[in-house]
Amino acid sequence: MLVLGTSAALLALGSGGVLLRRNPVAMLMSVELMLNAGNLLFVLAARVRGVVDGQAAALIVLVVAAAEAVVGLGLALALFRDRSRVDVDDPAEVRG
Amino acid sequence: MSELFLPLAVGCAVALVSGLAVVLARRPVHSVVGLLVHSLAIASLFLLLAADLVAIGQVLIYSGAIVVLFLFVIALLPAGGAEGPIGSGRALSAVLAAGALLAALAAGLSASLPAATGRSVGGVEAIGRSLFGPLVVPFELTAPLLLVAIVGAVAIWRRQEQAP
Repeated sequence: MLVLGTSAALLALGSGGVLLRRNPVAMLMSVELMLNAGNLLFVLAARVRGVVDGQAAALIVLVVAAAEAVVGLGLALALFRDRSRVDVDDPAEVRG
Repeated sequence: MSELFLPLAVGCAVALVSGLAVVLARRPVHSVVGLLVHSLAIASLFLLLAADLVAIGQVLIYSGAIVVLFLFVIALLPAGGAEGPIGSGRALSAVLAAGALLAALAAGLSASLPAATGRSVGGVEAIGRSLFGPLVVPFELTAPLLLVAIVGAVAIWRRQEQAP
């Protein structure tokens, strides 16, 4: 029950952080918070239900989080390397 | 379960407070330190929930690789990655969205509280059987995912090198 509430609160906190921050690195860190919340729920379910599949799924989520961090940080670095300010609202080269 | 309650409560409190620090810290370096404390707290929660292998993976991948990667990128960003002031409209929308998500999760989760069986499972062998049994497709798909991530990161970087 306690861990369930923590997981839900962390997910909400991460989503708030993604909307709040203007720094791409801080936004990626908030996404990591949300992934951690999901992982915590997987492991909790594995413990509560007595099935090991949740732990295996948590390991896969860890790998996906690593891949996401690599691509996201590469993009942030390529976008903001030669700018004076780090702000996700600034770049306007790509128009839809 | 009762003797586990106090460590679980401490771990949850540390994870929540450090998560709050990640979101609210003004300097990105402080956010990264918060993320480090947060990932270690989550790993301790995994240990308390009898998920040894996931806890080891959490420490190795999160605390080891991802946090260091964040630190390197912050060191390379201009002005240490410091960001401008945050408008009140943005803050209000973030708080509203987070509150709405929390309310929806609380409503959904409290309606379907699971009943504990109390049977502890785990061990590398059981996780391996699960990874190569029912979860073999997503497990094998992580290999091309990592390859594509590596090649993609290098490709983004190379195009940037040639452009100017």
